[in-house]
Amino acid sequence: MTEVTLSNVIKDYGKSRAVHGIDLGIADGEFAVLVGPSGCGKSTTLRMIAGLEDISGGEISIGGRVVNELPPRERNISMVFQNYALYPHMTVRENLGFSLKIAKKPEGEISKAVHEAADILGLDALMDRRPAELSGGQRQRVAMGRAIVRRPDVFLFDEPLSNLDAKLRTQMRVEIKKLHQKVGNTIIYVTHDQVEAMTLADRIVLMRDGHIVQVGTPLDLFNAPVNTFVATFIGSPPMNLIDGTASGSDAIELVGGLRVPVPSNARGLVRDGQKVRFGFRADNLMPEGHAVQAGGEKAELDLEVTLAEPLGTETVLFTDIAGHEVQAKMLNPRPVRSGERLKFLLMLDKCHVFDAASSDAIRG
Amino acid sequence: MDRNQAHRNRKRALKTLHFIALFLTMSIICIPGLWIVLNSFRPTVEIMAKPPVWTPSFTLDHYRAMFGGAGAGGVPVFSYFRNSLIVSVVSTAIAILIGMSGGYAFARYRFKGKAGYFVGLMLFRAVPGVALSLPLFIVFAKVGIIDTHLGLILVYVALNVPFTIWLTDGFFRQIPKELHEAAEIDGCTRWQAFWKVEFPVARSGIASAAIFAFLTSWNEFALASQLTRSVGSKTMPVGLLDFTAEFTINWGGMCALAVLMIVPALILTFLVQKHLIAGLTFGGVKG
Amino acid sequence: MIRRRLPQWFVLLLPAFIVIAAVVLIPLIFSLYSSFTPYKLTRPSTLWTWVGTSNYEKILTDAKFWTAFGRTILFLTIVLNVELLLGLGIALMMNKITWGQRTLRTILMFPMMFSPILVGFQFKFIFNDNVGLVNNVLQSLGSDSALPWLVDGKLAMFSIMFAEIWMSTSVFAILILAGLFAMPRDPLEAAKVDGCTPWQSFRHITLPFLMPFIFIAMTIRSLDVARAYDIVQIMTGGGPARRTELLWTLMSRTGYVDARMGLANAMGYISIILSILFTIYFFRKLSAARADLGMEG
Repeated sequence: MTEVTLSNVIKDYGKSRAVHGIDLGIADGEFAVLVGPSGCGKSTTLRMIAGLEDISGGEISIGGRVVNELPPRERNISMVFQNYALYPHMTVRENLGFSLKIAKKPEGEISKAVHEAADILGLDALMDRRPAELSGGQRQRVAMGRAIVRRPDVFLFDEPLSNLDAKLRTQMRVEIKKLHQKVGNTIIYVTHDQVEAMTLADRIVLMRDGHIVQVGTPLDLFNAPVNTFVATFIGSPPMNLIDGTASGSDAIELVGGLRVPVPSNARGLVRDGQKVRFGFRADNLMPEGHAVQAGGEKAELDLEVTLAEPLGTETVLFTDIAGHEVQAKMLNPRPVRSGERLKFLLMLDKCHVFDAASSDAIRG
Repeated sequence: MDRNQAHRNRKRALKTLHFIALFLTMSIICIPGLWIVLNSFRPTVEIMAKPPVWTPSFTLDHYRAMFGGAGAGGVPVFSYFRNSLIVSVVSTAIAILIGMSGGYAFARYRFKGKAGYFVGLMLFRAVPGVALSLPLFIVFAKVGIIDTHLGLILVYVALNVPFTIWLTDGFFRQIPKELHEAAEIDGCTRWQAFWKVEFPVARSGIASAAIFAFLTSWNEFALASQLTRSVGSKTMPVGLLDFTAEFTINWGGMCALAVLMIVPALILTFLVQKHLIAGLTFGGVKG
Repeated sequence: MIRRRLPQWFVLLLPAFIVIAAVVLIPLIFSLYSSFTPYKLTRPSTLWTWVGTSNYEKILTDAKFWTAFGRTILFLTIVLNVELLLGLGIALMMNKITWGQRTLRTILMFPMMFSPILVGFQFKFIFNDNVGLVNNVLQSLGSDSALPWLVDGKLAMFSIMFAEIWMSTSVFAILILAGLFAMPRDPLEAAKVDGCTPWQSFRHITLPFLMPFIFIAMTIRSLDVARAYDIVQIMTGGGPARRTELLWTLMSRTGYVDARMGLANAMGYISIILSILFTIYFFRKLSAARADLGMEG
């Protein structure tokens, strides 16, 4: 069993604190993704788990064993770096076998393990090349191969796809997911890209300013964001947010005078006069006739389209509610001119209410 | 049409000018050295001839005399060569070890006053050899290591360490630090990570730093001329003066010794040129 | 156990500190002390007589010293400027050629690797009034009098400078060339399209980009300006009649020939300070130029 547990982990750089007492448990075999904007402490946290950074406070344990003071080599982990960190003076074969050679494993065992890894990642044809002779995607694969050869307890990935172009990134994302299904180890993966986080993770750990903001499955974070930060960080396009004021306990007066009922998940939780932000995703604001959902409460809005972005399967429509830019989605697209007025349906049971002062979600 | 013609003429003229200037530059660089090589193969009478003789004849006399030992007014070139070699090789090896560890410290660790230490070290390199030779002469005489290999080796180590630090710092900086992190995760200790990954990657750069240190020792005169005086420790640059008597100079013999000094230097230069430039500019620009 | 472990960086730097302290720092402290004594090699007991700043006073009122000092400054000014200009010119020329660049660059590096003593000897031979190449050529071309290159004061100074420039121009040429290679193409092409003449684009784009490289070369050069000692020592020994005496030859003459170590060490200190000022000056210029181009590490 190789669960990873962080309790009250702190990292200080001189006087400034980069990580503020993180508590996190990652189960055996789980694919956990640490995600957040740059400078949020996600890479630092990963590097503390790896043993590349000292831990200023708290405790990290891997497989039930406290590793705070252990050097990286005694933690039985492997890591894939953002710039791959392949050894430029070794061939692919030597790169893959390096860790076993250091561990003084017998020659036969090394070549067997190297061969297996090469097989999994399709590196057989490249074994005698040096890193300089490989393309970006190939280097990425070697870096992953080097990580699996050791059969570590935990894999650590530090933004491994950010140096690849968009197409290759999608492709490698799939390969990483397949790899996880094949080897089944615990994986901790750091990225700043929410799409990567959504597609890869069993569980997402969303961080900001050295704190964990929300932990949960991708759908948890998408459907029930704990605050406006999560709501706008996860999902593309980001959630639309409109300022408003509660009027009574079952209606919200949006700026611009539009009045909507309080969504069912927050009913009874808002106070009269409370300043709130009303949120909904583009998928839940659709031109009439394009809505997929039959049931549920809906509000009707008459809005002017300012810009249309056709994406093929859908068209993103930009419109404006009382000075707030709002995005809507048109499934089954047809050409839309800017300036055109359309009747939109807002799916009220999919809307969210956040407290304006604390930006926390109001949800039952 | 005319304007095009004019531009074409101008271009052609500039090209010719460029070629001539380049040719002149290269000639000025090459001729003095070639003149020395040429004269080391000419008999003394011909070197001294008036009016000058322009069709050279060929003789190995100077080389024969040089390697013929100390007899017949000859200069003990063999001993000088051996001294130069011992002093240069040993001091280079030590300077590289010390300088490399220093360069690594500057490239990989953060500490207070780093820039200050760095400049401070370089300033020691700026102390003129002559100025240093005066007190060293006295101190070495007191300690009893004047006129020994050990004394010169010590001096050259100290002389080469700052510059070696400059160069190796530059080379280690070029290596991403993730490389040793990856090695540590792969099971290396910090020490293993250095020797198995960072050192091999920086190898060619370190080799050129070594060659540079070697040449500094090989070529040094100001200190050696004061700190050595017997056949047992004099190096070749000092030995060159043996050919100068009060009023006469054995030009041919001097030329032969000069060739013996230049050849290793040129071969080594050829080997390091590329890395040397990389080391100097990287260390300096991205410092 | 309260024993604190030394930080790793310190342990790594320690050997360097020790060897430099032992071989450079301690002798320098000793020479600083002895520069306040009338120390003579021939009379060791004089080491313990404290005379205060009398050596420095003697030097500062000595015309011979001031002549050598002024000549050294003049020598360095001329030599460094000519080297910079020639080096810049050579680098620009080399950058233009399309064939054999590697070979020519290697040739260009050779003078850098010559021992200064060898350079001195080489030009002593070439400028020799009797058997030297220069006079031989002049005579073969019909000039009947031999020019006294190393005997006449002015010509000797010229010959020494020629040797020094021959030896060190490469440092500039090579480093500036490296700068030219590293230079991005786009700004130059943009300038061309914007209508800059070749001179304007050199002045406003190429030159500012090269400045850090020029200062690296200057810094490296200022570390070993005293190598000129070797050249002068073998070419003229400071003669004729002290007309080519530089600070360094004067110092070595005072110390070794006249055996007046205290006095020589005082001069040594002045030369050390001179060298250090040069180095610091260019180091600062280098940092400033680097900051301008946003090249800090």
